[in-house]
Parts: sequence; structure tokens; C-alpha cells
Amino acid sequence: MTSVPISDDDLMAYADGQLAHERREAVEQALARDPALGVRVASIREQNAALRDAFDPWLAEAIPPRLIAAAEGRAGGGRLLRTWPALAAAATLVLGIAVGWFGRDAMLERSGTPTTFARQAALTHVLYAADQRRPVEVWANEEAGLVRWLTRRLSYDAHVPDLNPLGFALVGGRLVAGNEKPTALVMYENAEKQRLTLQWRVTNEQGGESGETSFRYSLENGVGVFYWIEDQCAYALSGPLDRAQLLAVARVVYGQLATPSKPAPAAPPPGGSVPKTAPEQPRVQG
Amino acid sequence: MVDAPLPQPELLAAIPRLRRYARVLTGDAARADDLVQEALARGWEKRRLWQAGTDLRAWLFTIMHNVFVNQRASAVREAANVSLDAESDAGRGAWQVPVPAAQFARVELMELLQQVGRLPAEQRETLLLAAVEEMRYEEIAATMSVPVGTVMSRLSRAREKLRRLSDERPATLKRVK
Repeated sequence: MTSVPISDDDLMAYADGQLAHERREAVEQALARDPALGVRVASIREQNAALRDAFDPWLAEAIPPRLIAAAEGRAGGGRLLRTWPALAAAATLVLGIAVGWFGRDAMLERSGTPTTFARQAALTHVLYAADQRRPVEVWANEEAGLVRWLTRRLSYDAHVPDLNPLGFALVGGRLVAGNEKPTALVMYENAEKQRLTLQWRVTNEQGGESGETSFRYSLENGVGVFYWIEDQCAYALSGPLDRAQLLAVARVVYGQLATPSKPAPAAPPPGGSVPKTAPEQPRVQG
Repeated sequence: MVDAPLPQPELLAAIPRLRRYARVLTGDAARADDLVQEALARGWEKRRLWQAGTDLRAWLFTIMHNVFVNQRASAVREAANVSLDAESDAGRGAWQVPVPAAQFARVELMELLQQVGRLPAEQRETLLLAAVEEMRYEEIAATMSVPVGTVMSRLSRAREKLRRLSDERPATLKRVK
């Protein structure tokens, strides 16, 4: 068997997971012979991971409405922005679009609907569920570590519901940037490769007017979202299921979060709320 | 719009990635959003040219890169004293690193963003597409209209330079705005 010397480009492509199949074997043999090559591959991969850590938070920022409008072919006005000094002239047009969107939100918000969380949850869902290679930061095989990490970053006990009985296996989870507070995300996938995400973040808002929880439904750009507020946390369950299917999953999630199937707690949970043994299911709104 | 052949979920999912690439291109968050808006508007106009089943993200990145290159070229023509040099940074603002949300403001990541800012623009762009977007070298070559070999040499130089910069990291970190 002739062996072509391993080039720097080979090593780089191998580290990036882009080396052609026929060369991959040769590189793997060389790696087995020469540990120094392995160090170089590891160094490239570490650099890639650090770069993603540094740049990924940008992805979680809220998308300006004018860009969503442009993506939907509704942004004729903004086209004046050919060069930067034209900004002032175009700002009024952009403002016009923005006021339309924010006005709608303010109206819904007055009626007690936290639209921003549902919309943000839907966009975050689409962003990560569509990602084939890195949908999550921590994979399901490190579930215990994931729970510890999310608990620490949210300062709130994380519980990852078990949706296997519904055919959805845990993929893993990640932390995403919320508007003010970090949001935890866990993702599930079924045999048809449909992905669900459950996101939660600590909130000061109370559930309903009388403090009771209710499920609210929202369809955001084709993504269904059920969201509710329970015990200091806002939850959003998003996925490509229809409303009835998604509600069924939301009820299971709600039930498990209300009675986490954890080892018997040594002390009552903080915050004074006592988990109900048989959780009463919330009403459905919207 | 009912007749939109561009799939909405993928389109919306591409926007944060377009914004990120635009920031790396322009080095300025506000200019970046103008560039993304222009690219999305062009994408909308040309939507019938997109082939279903192909990577929508790569298609939009290519459109945006072309918009950026054309804008830069006209900026260079306007500034008569600037030579038209492929490796020059003309038409780009100074690289300003937006501070990520507070919970992500880890010192080593801030340092890394600054080091990326010190790379030549072409290397910086290529590195983002390969290491962060995880695009294939061929896709990057198509996006930037350069041969695959150029992509690989830029990538290799970027990684080497970044390694050197992180070895000589400054003792004190300047706060960026």
C-alpha cells in the first residue's frame, strides 16, 4: 500500500471533519503512529470550540423586526440604505415598521400575554432544532452534568422531563441568552426526527390574574409554542407538532415538573411552594 | 406572502447567522444589520432562483457577500486616495467587538474576539465560516468567489496567527465598547 505523506491541509480538513473518505484512513493511521500529529488536530479542534463559544452568543440576540420584514418581502423602505450616511434618511422608514411591530406587542402585553417569550422561544427553537451538527452544547449522555450546569447558571433547580414514553428521547441541552436572564433549553427528538425544545427561565411574573397557571398557545412563524408560568419560572414548549399533540406533551411536562421524580427530598423545596402530589392540570387559553 | 417559495423556518433560522457573518464583515453591529437587510431583500427578489433542497443559508451568505463586496468597491472608488487592493480593509469600519450579554462576558472569550479582530479581514471571514459556521470548504469558496486552495491557505494562516496571538496574550485586557 502506497502512503502519501500527510500534509498540513490533510490535518486541518481532518480536524474540521471535512477530509475525503479515502484520505481519512491514511490520516488516522498516521495519527496512531505519531502523537505529535494528534496534538495538532486537538489544538485545531479546541480553537474551533473556543471560537464557537465566543461567537455563538450573538445568535441568541433578538432579531430586529425590520430584518424579519425584509425576509418576508415587506421591506421596500429600508432599501435606501445603500451607504452608511443614508442612515438618517431611512431611519424614519425603519421606525415606521418597528412601531407597527412593537405596537402589536404592547397591545398583547397589556392583555397579559408575554408574547416576547413565546416568540423568542420559537426563534430559538428553529435556530437550534435546524442545526444538524450542534443542536445542543451538552449531549444527553452527560445529563447529570447538564442538570448541574443549568441549575447553577439559572440559580434554579433544573429538572429535565422524561419524554421517552411519548417517543421523544433527550438530545441534550444548552444555555441561551434571554432578554435579561439566561434561558435553559433542552431538546428532544423522536424516531421521525421531529425535535421539541423545552425552554425555561426565572421570572418575576405571576401566572394568571389569580396566580393560577394556564397554558397559552401561540403559533410563531409555523412553530407551535405552549407556554406557562409556574413557581417563579416561565416555560415554553416548542415544536412542529399540531396544537393537540403539543398540548399532550405540555401536560406531561407540566406534570413531571410539578412532581419531579427525584429521590425523596431531604428538605422542603425553597421558596415555600410545596409540590402537589397529583398536579392539577392548568386551563388552556389562546 | 403566500407565493413565497423560500421556507420560512429556515429563512428565519438563517437570519442570526447572517447577522453574525455581517458583523464579521463590517466590524460594526449597526452597519451589519443594514447589510443583512439588503441581502434579505435581494434574496426575496431572487427567491425563484433558489433551488429547493439546497442549503438556503449558503445561498444567502453568497448573496450577502456579493452585496458587501460591491458596496466596498464603490466606497473605494469614492475615496480616490485609497488604492484598490484586495487585501486592504477599505470600506470596512474599525473592528468593534460587541460585548456579549452579561452572562457570557467571560474574559478569555473577550480576548479571543479581540484576537480575531486583529486578523486580516479575509482570514477572519474565512475562519468564521469554517470554524464557527462549520461550512464546507467548497461552500466557503463559492460564497467568497475564491478557489478552494485560497480558502485553505487563509484558514491555515488564520489559525496559526491566532495561536501566536493567544500565546502572547496581554496581561491586562482593555475594555471594548
